[in-house]
Amino acid sequence: MIELQGLTKRYGETRVVDDISLTVEQGEFCVLIGPSGCGKSTTLKMINRLIAHSEGKILVGGEDITSLPPERLRRRIGYAIQSIGLFPHWRVADNIATVPKLLKWPSSRIAERVEELLALFQLDDDGLQDKYPHQLSGGQAQRVGVARALAADPDVLLMDEPFGAVDPLTRDTLQAELARVHRQTGKTIVFVTHDMDEALRLASRVALLNAGQLVQYDRPAELLVAPANDFVRDFIGRADLGLKLLSRRRVEEYCRPAQRTRNNAIASAPITWQVDADDRPMALLGGRLGEPETARTVVNPEWTATPEMSMKEALSRMVWFRVTALPVLDVEGRLLGEVTMSGVMGHRP
Amino acid sequence: MANRVLVTLLGAGLLAAWLLPFATMSPNRLASGQTVGLSEALSAWQVIALLALSAVLAVAALRRPLPRELAHRAVLLASLGLLLITLYSLGDFAQRTLVEKSPSARVSQGAAFWVMVFCCALAAIDAFQRASSGWLLRLGYMLIAGGSVAMLFASGHFDDLSIMREYANIRDNFSDQLITHLVLVGSALGPALLLGVPLGLLAHRRVRLQGTLFSVLNFFQTIPSIALFALLVAPLSALGNAFPLLGEWGVKGIGAAPAIIALVMYALLPVVRNTYAGLKGVPPATVEAARGMGMTARQVLWRVEIPLALPVMLSGLRIVTVQAIGLTVVAALIGAGGLGAFIFQGLGQYAIDLVLLGAIPTIVLAVIADFTLQMLVVLSKPAGTRR
Repeated sequence: MIELQGLTKRYGETRVVDDISLTVEQGEFCVLIGPSGCGKSTTLKMINRLIAHSEGKILVGGEDITSLPPERLRRRIGYAIQSIGLFPHWRVADNIATVPKLLKWPSSRIAERVEELLALFQLDDDGLQDKYPHQLSGGQAQRVGVARALAADPDVLLMDEPFGAVDPLTRDTLQAELARVHRQTGKTIVFVTHDMDEALRLASRVALLNAGQLVQYDRPAELLVAPANDFVRDFIGRADLGLKLLSRRRVEEYCRPAQRTRNNAIASAPITWQVDADDRPMALLGGRLGEPETARTVVNPEWTATPEMSMKEALSRMVWFRVTALPVLDVEGRLLGEVTMSGVMGHRP
Repeated sequence: MANRVLVTLLGAGLLAAWLLPFATMSPNRLASGQTVGLSEALSAWQVIALLALSAVLAVAALRRPLPRELAHRAVLLASLGLLLITLYSLGDFAQRTLVEKSPSARVSQGAAFWVMVFCCALAAIDAFQRASSGWLLRLGYMLIAGGSVAMLFASGHFDDLSIMREYANIRDNFSDQLITHLVLVGSALGPALLLGVPLGLLAHRRVRLQGTLFSVLNFFQTIPSIALFALLVAPLSALGNAFPLLGEWGVKGIGAAPAIIALVMYALLPVVRNTYAGLKGVPPATVEAARGMGMTARQVLWRVEIPLALPVMLSGLRIVTVQAIGLTVVAALIGAGGLGAFIFQGLGQYAIDLVLLGAIPTIVLAVIADFTLQMLVVLSKPAGTRR
């Protein structure tokens, strides 16, 4: 979908981007990452010609980007930056409609599309579309920014540190939402960040840049277990490598059948879940660190897991509540299975 | 804590009303006359109204008995009321006294009148600034105050005052000069905007030009206005003589041509500087987003940069308009006409009423222009951020 061939950007003698070649396949979520000044933003902005490249070639959908006027190219590629990029004098709906208006869509189609996007980003509260950007919360403004980038339904979406200016909690929500939108729409996304956790969470491929050069371009897991050199190793921080790997795993991958009982009789297995008539776990029999194997621990909603939860979070809950197993619940709160400490250890991440 | 500004203004106004003459009476236009105090000049109800409104101001000034916002409103209304009473009383006094006098006798305003009007206006402006009323309410206050004064004039209430008798003598000439004044201001503002806005844009786009451009414009601004008018006389008359066609179009050493050129030169700096500052104030991320969305350079300018820079640009226009209205007075010296003509004519004849006939309308024009453009600045801000 996007091909960079020997891409170079020079300012005088300095090569800010130096001979980068990589291919982003259709539907891929490619994250460009690296220390400040490594050329990641410059690379992104060369794709929609906000910055002109000095050497090399960029193909988008097989077409050389210099073969059409920059404005036409940009209207085909979504572009999202930090929330300050919203137009302060336009209402939310007008902001989202920017590109469709430039493309002269009929107004009924624009209105329909705006509705659709507001719903996709859960912005369809009463009257939100008539508000001005300064009336929005940081998270809302950022959603509007991404919605605006998607407005004309581009195949490719470029995002330049879009979540850099929001608080950690909101960023977490926005990342989850972006991952969902990516799954739902199958867009090709190129995303710039300097946050390794963000990259590992979102990327299907990571391009690690340093001093203008591409150091490694690989799947996140490969980057973690097979770093190309010491720079990669240092940059991703090997100290919590195990946790980083677990952060990419979901509970359902580690979930295994649970031993159940209706009364508090100790079963043969070391860990048994006492369930009620609706199969909801009431208590954990055994499996509590530092307690005798017969101990009965009432299930606390804070130490349960869902299939979508990351294994890093599940492990964190086990450590915090000093239990060796978490019940995995479905949306109704019924027992699906369990994840255990020994299960985490016995599984190659 | 008491409102010190208001206490000072009220004290000064009352002291002047007590000690200084409110009006003067003279047998004819040029002779000096005898003075009349406030207690003689005003009828009983006028004095009572004056004292009552002063008492309201005194209470509001102490502020303890009234909540802050209410105090501002009270001061605004009371000072506007005082202003109207003062004006009305003077006209009323002239009507009553001149009935049995000779037609050449004159009544004019005395020192106390001026101090009272001045203090009332300042108190009103001060309250206007402090009150947190929206622009619509402000407009309302202005229209009511301005409308009442205009109605008093229109009803002939002031016709017996010396200054209005002077006006009656020059009525036709007055409207001609007023129009000339406005035409001069307008024909300076047009070119100043047509030149200044693109120059401001250029300064924003070409960083290297900035230094030169702003130093040239700053230099114009430092030349005293009379000197600049005088400096233009020689080259323009030479031009007019050398090319008779230009002379026929009005390019001459004296008259409108040098006046307009000088006014444009003075107007350029604020227009260019505010256009530049307005564009520079647009967040770079907003412009980058606009380009990234696929707007052409022209669309970025018209849809994003200009709308966001407009409040600052209009502030520049406001400065320039008020400045041009004032400078045009001086242009009368090189024969351009306008309200300045009355001022200089009056100064020559030592006819103070004639001077005032030039000065007061100039001030009123400046105030109206200032207020109107201030409103436009507020309205040009992105909706929702206005106040």
